[in-house]
Amino acid sequence: MITLTINDKEITLDKPLTVLEAARQAGIKIPTLCYHEALKPYGGCRLCVVEVERMPRLQTACTLMAADGMVVKTESDTVSKVRRGILEFLLINHPLDCPYCDKAGECELQDLVNKYGPTVGRYIEEKRRVPESHKDEIFTRNMSRCVVCTRCVRMCGDVQGASAISIMGRGNRSRMEPFSAESFNCEYCGNCLTVCPVGAILSRLYIHSFRPWQVDKEVETICSYCGVGCSLVAQVRDDAIKRVIPRMGFGLNKGLLCSRGRFGYEYINSGERLKTPLVRKDGKLVESTWSEALGIVADKLMKVKNSHGGSALAGIASPRCSNEDNYVFQKFMRMACGTNNIDSISRTGFAAAQKYFEDLLGQGTTANIIEGLKNSETIFILGGDPTAINPILGLAIREAARRGAKIAVLGNAKGLERFKTLQLVPSVFKEADVLEALLNEIYNVKGLRGENPALDKGIRALYEKAAAAFDMQGFDNLKKILLDSASTAVVLGMDLLQRTDGHRSLFAIAGLIYLLEARLYLLSEKPNEQGVVDTGCVPDMLPGGRPLGIHDFKRKFEAAWNGVIPENEGLTLLEIIEGAKNKKIKALYIMGENPVFNLPNESFVSEALKSLDFLVVQDIFLTETAEIADVVLPALGWTEKTGTYTNLERRIQLQKKAVETSNGMEDWKIIAEISNKMGYRMNFADSKEVMDEIAKVSPLYRDLTYQEISKGNCLWPYNGEPLRGEISEAPAVFKTANEYKGDFYLAVEKPLFHSGTLSRRSPALMKIYSEPALKVSVKTAEKLGLNEGDRVQFFTQIGSKEAIVSIDESIKDNRVYYSNNFKGNGIFSLLTFNIDKLTKMPGLEGCEVKIKKL
Amino acid sequence: MFNETVLKEINEIRAKYPDRRSALLPSLYIAQREFGWLSHEAMQFVARTLNLPEAEVRGTASFYAMFKHKPVGRNLIQLCTNVSCMILGSEGLLDFLNKRYGVEPDGTSGDGRFSLVIMECIGACGTAPAMLVNTDFHDNLTEQRIEEILEKYK
Repeated sequence: MITLTINDKEITLDKPLTVLEAARQAGIKIPTLCYHEALKPYGGCRLCVVEVERMPRLQTACTLMAADGMVVKTESDTVSKVRRGILEFLLINHPLDCPYCDKAGECELQDLVNKYGPTVGRYIEEKRRVPESHKDEIFTRNMSRCVVCTRCVRMCGDVQGASAISIMGRGNRSRMEPFSAESFNCEYCGNCLTVCPVGAILSRLYIHSFRPWQVDKEVETICSYCGVGCSLVAQVRDDAIKRVIPRMGFGLNKGLLCSRGRFGYEYINSGERLKTPLVRKDGKLVESTWSEALGIVADKLMKVKNSHGGSALAGIASPRCSNEDNYVFQKFMRMACGTNNIDSISRTGFAAAQKYFEDLLGQGTTANIIEGLKNSETIFILGGDPTAINPILGLAIREAARRGAKIAVLGNAKGLERFKTLQLVPSVFKEADVLEALLNEIYNVKGLRGENPALDKGIRALYEKAAAAFDMQGFDNLKKILLDSASTAVVLGMDLLQRTDGHRSLFAIAGLIYLLEARLYLLSEKPNEQGVVDTGCVPDMLPGGRPLGIHDFKRKFEAAWNGVIPENEGLTLLEIIEGAKNKKIKALYIMGENPVFNLPNESFVSEALKSLDFLVVQDIFLTETAEIADVVLPALGWTEKTGTYTNLERRIQLQKKAVETSNGMEDWKIIAEISNKMGYRMNFADSKEVMDEIAKVSPLYRDLTYQEISKGNCLWPYNGEPLRGEISEAPAVFKTANEYKGDFYLAVEKPLFHSGTLSRRSPALMKIYSEPALKVSVKTAEKLGLNEGDRVQFFTQIGSKEAIVSIDESIKDNRVYYSNNFKGNGIFSLLTFNIDKLTKMPGLEGCEVKIKKL
Repeated sequence: MFNETVLKEINEIRAKYPDRRSALLPSLYIAQREFGWLSHEAMQFVARTLNLPEAEVRGTASFYAMFKHKPVGRNLIQLCTNVSCMILGSEGLLDFLNKRYGVEPDGTSGDGRFSLVIMECIGACGTAPAMLVNTDFHDNLTEQRIEEILEKYK
């Protein structure tokens, strides 16, 4: 126990703290400037000086550890004089341009000078002037205002790990600069904006557009982009989102944001938003009214149901929509349309993988807290770059690396280049071989655990089949790292699994997790991939992960829903598309998804959907899929509605409404209206009532309320009863005989600055990454004689595209990467797919690519 | 990019330290030796070789006056103009350097032979004025001596 006295107040600490922290804990304010709670103490600005008895000179409270018996005075004549002096020195160069500085009103220096500073400056010389730099698309840099507290540099280096900026020069000429001195060319997380105490770095998204005190309201909500679900604050003025800021220490992201979350919000105010329902008349989509459009939908769906039965109908739900939307959607499909043909884009990755792991390793196996990654001894990363797919989760990995964790990477991962301990890059499509070999070797050392018959059987069978010893550079080292680690986390991206035999990798990873007693984190590109599964938007499970095949569950839901749930399991996503193609599916209802662009083989998918009798698309934009629909219904987007989302940790969080104006309707409401027209009654007054029903009927969410969810720690298994899957048979493994013989392979780029097709409507993200580039390795560039910025044409079996070349040193193999975000330029239009027999994921095929310099 | 010998030299330095950041200053010094000055490209090479952030490399390099951030001539003259050197005529020597070789402080002669930098005291007050040419030390300077000395540097 440490007991010290600050300003005659006795303070007892239960853990070692600095004097500054101890004072804050006791409610005593000490002014600071270079100190920031997210950063390590720095002791640069000297504003936090305090008097400590029996210590010579004044001490900086931010760096001084509190000691037993210490007597501290935070205010005295000497202290005030020193603080006044420091501020006077800072104002020698800091311009007094507060009247037109955007920071005024939330400027720490302004507040400090107001409270502690001199009222008059004695300095009469010229101030140092540095011209404001607008050479970056996102940030303005005004180095006249910089007080060199280095908070931005420390944030960028010590927390974000991007280290894109530094203090250049020295003494009076010190200033913060990115390497190029012009464009930042960084990760654009904007966390430097959060910590800059003055107006030295500002966001060009809102500069000169409003004053901090002119905000009408601030709404604490969660981000709409990826599966992490960061908390953020939307600042609203005149019923429009003016700015998105984080709140320090708030949410699972603790006040950190990524580029998408911080700068990607403008899409919601886009002029391209759908304003009215559209109905196809004479082959053209024309504006219509809600009553007409909803009437047509109800009528057509009823007709198809009556003449072909429920199995001719199908629905595609959305991991961008809330739990409430998805719950109502599956209830509508099952009860009003009479079909279990419900799936979502998550089938192409997260949902399929999650189900597979849960079947083998037990429910809740993916429900691990992101924060916990930091304490891992080893993190094994496969199938994608977490710092781009789920950036805030990526930061936890970087933090673990700083704390000494071993970071083992399988495949390419740009964001971990400076953080990895070991990297293995198996040749394309050979990842499963490496993982199976790794599992065999680990089994050889550790033996079986004997707790899971299915896995035990499967691992032994695999071992018996195994070929000779495996030889690959780094393989033994990886094995050793994994075997020596007492606390291992596996971070799995979906790229690895989108193979025709992706389930082989899945089994090997499940085996590794089991033998190593590792924790599993699934990367998730969309905000509600887990929620889609949990609310029952899957063809084989009812809400709460209750298998359709277990009669008791089905009966309970039938009683609650007052009707009959169809008996047979439905079709999965790709089967629905195929069903549309061969006319088994006649009508398709798509909520918030764009399969034409987001699934492989664009022309196949597009033709399949065109051959439907009836296609409804509900979205916020006229997507590629909406363009071929018979009816398009405008929905509400982020900050326009309230609803819950389940993130990749299985944490349920509340996304809140912040603005009133919009022309759309909530997704669940549109569906409920159609359902009512079709004769299946759904009466919900608001999304809260939908949640109440979910909490009532689904044992997983028992008694959950918005009030409880909004506390922010609504974690698995909630109040509910998880269901333990009982699987005793080892899952089958089919080895495909495909041999791939390309010189180069096309792979999907997952850019940090884009997310699906939403980010195309975000001007800021489009400025950062405006044109798709073909990313190639240094070796590939040498082999083909390509330079940065060259134009190339590249061909696969089914198509070709033109793009500029970007050489990426973090690519270590003969893959070339192209994104699936830009209009008319998606990689998926060039690839085909097979369906993995076991998981029903698409296995990407036709990746062999030829590249020609133009 | 660095040639094999230089890469080897940097890797040897890197091996001496547990933290690769410690190898930064000596590596920058090598880069300056190889390229004459630290261009953005040269600093990128250093960053890549040591796997350090580019901004950190430039931040560090920009702190030290002895790292050059623009091209310099084949030979670098560093003349002291502090008190003793000044009293003993270093300012006149500056004029001489300008007239005879066409080089001004912080500038480079038209033929690219010399660059001139005014440096702070090099501890040769007893034998002032003094200068460094590249890494060689010269004192008791006069116009005539400078001419003789610089003959050796082409």
